[in-house]
Amino acid sequence: MGFEEIEHTADHAVKVYGKNLKELFISAAQGMTSLMLSDGSGVSGEVAKRVKLKAIDTESLLVEWLSELAYWAEAEMVVFSKYKIHTISATDIDASVMGTKVTALEKHIKAVTYHNLNIVETRKGLEATIVFDV
Amino acid sequence: MVVKHAFKKLDEHLFEVPAEFRADMRVPARFYSDEELLKGIVSDNSLQQLINTATLPGVVKYALAMPDIHQGYGFPIGGVVATEFPDGIISPGGVGYDINCGVRLLATHLDHEEISPFVDDLATVLFTNCPSGVGKGGRIKLKAQELDQVLSKGARWAVKNGFGSEADLERTEESGCLGGANPEKVSPRAKDRGLKQVGTLGAGNHFIELDTVEKILDPEVAQRIGLFEGQIAVQIHCGSRGLGHQVCGDYVKRFQKSIARYGLHLPDRELVCAPLSSPEGQDYLAAMMAAANYAFANRQVLAFHIRRSFEQVLAGKVSNHHIFQIYDIAHNMAKVETHRIDGKDMRLCVHRKGATRAFGPGSPELPSVYQDIGQPVLVPGSMGTASWVLVGTRESMAQTFGSTCHGAGRTMSRKKARKSIRGMTLREELESRGILIRAGSMPGLAEEAPAAYKDVDRVVNVVDTAGIAKKVARLKPIAVIKG
Repeated sequence: MGFEEIEHTADHAVKVYGKNLKELFISAAQGMTSLMLSDGSGVSGEVAKRVKLKAIDTESLLVEWLSELAYWAEAEMVVFSKYKIHTISATDIDASVMGTKVTALEKHIKAVTYHNLNIVETRKGLEATIVFDV
Repeated sequence: MVVKHAFKKLDEHLFEVPAEFRADMRVPARFYSDEELLKGIVSDNSLQQLINTATLPGVVKYALAMPDIHQGYGFPIGGVVATEFPDGIISPGGVGYDINCGVRLLATHLDHEEISPFVDDLATVLFTNCPSGVGKGGRIKLKAQELDQVLSKGARWAVKNGFGSEADLERTEESGCLGGANPEKVSPRAKDRGLKQVGTLGAGNHFIELDTVEKILDPEVAQRIGLFEGQIAVQIHCGSRGLGHQVCGDYVKRFQKSIARYGLHLPDRELVCAPLSSPEGQDYLAAMMAAANYAFANRQVLAFHIRRSFEQVLAGKVSNHHIFQIYDIAHNMAKVETHRIDGKDMRLCVHRKGATRAFGPGSPELPSVYQDIGQPVLVPGSMGTASWVLVGTRESMAQTFGSTCHGAGRTMSRKKARKSIRGMTLREELESRGILIRAGSMPGLAEEAPAAYKDVDRVVNVVDTAGIAKKVARLKPIAVIKG
């Protein structure tokens, strides 16, 4: 599992990998966090949230999962670093996320977009490229 | 990427990808450029994205892009797409997440010489008085009912509450209030995000800038607008903040569910749309207008903070510290407008994503002060370079559904900018050129470096030569305030 930032002229794009959906969703969350806070070493885990979401398909679920985490970053300045996914299917997720309140964010994620978003199967598992509006 | 042989040159600065280029295109895709800008345009996915917009149901005449076109998501930035009303589509992605992101230009009675001893203090006070940064709340905490008033009344709410004057409203696109807004179509989460953010700048490429009017290109129009050489002016660039982002996100999500019902097939899910006449389309239009009103109110309150800052620093020290408004424009918006198409008046929904309305002289939508000269168009450059004031023309009405460019347009990725430019070094370089910087984030500053953008003068030359706007004045910055 993992992620890498890739070139995008106006916004930010992150390519994410995982052996399965659980790993893919965690990689995506970690990739987004790295945009908001390049040095996440000070992030512990004293703030906890339960995230339960339902969507029409897996790509939509991924958008909603990241949008939910980005919302808490803006609304409460909470950056998440630990993710426990209790259950995940193609259209549902139930997770506990832990993070910390920060005083400033390096990057404002305005939105998680559907632009060319496809979760594809590879020899190693799953991958997707996510474009963020910043 | 779209190769060069895919398009033909129609005019010195106008290119076209014919509708036959791809089977799913309903109309041609046209874009304005010169040979130099073209190199950047063909180097990323901008044209691919423009061609995708030419496939949208109900698209009229051609999908368009302005010379500041660059790669976005779904629609390209700089894109203009008009769809038939009421049976064509409306697309939240064709407006963008920052609904009614726009520019307000204020002008003073001061020249550079008179203000120069105070610029440093003024920049600091503006940075303090105008809240900026991610998720930053302002001094105004609204109750739910009052937020609904903001969403219904826009800048009128702000003026009624003492944050400006009728003269400001007269010089604002749509008088700062879109009548079709419906707060009930805005989700509770979007409203929650909006409660504390009226009168805040945000982060990213948003800014407040102190400028000097460096050059007047059209003395007669400049005088009518209220600009003179050497004058100090102030630009505000921001939008509808978290509330607007949430409205767009909510409707992108809702439209994904209804797309199959309307039998729509799209080349990119971010182009998701619904017929204007459908319940989804109508709800989005009403929610988008509410978010647009929030943005008008936001810029109105920021203008108040700017006036307050001028008062605080300059009262009693200069001849006249008062500020008046030149104009306020939106550059992320969809609007139902009447345009003359092939000799007939047609109601259209004009999506402008990173493009500015540029109505020409005689347009009934313009305030009486600008009726005979055309609508002022405000084109902010990249930080540290020039900005422009233009006016709309009769040609823009004929060629581009009354639209023109919105800025310089990015050319370098944020990742590359952050890697190759250091915020502190950039700040020193700009300050050595007489441009003061007050910024919350140094990496954020680096991403907005002038080198990451196209040459705004070149972009403006293209729209001026093509006739879709006319140059009036060139501004150069003396202080930039960023989140």
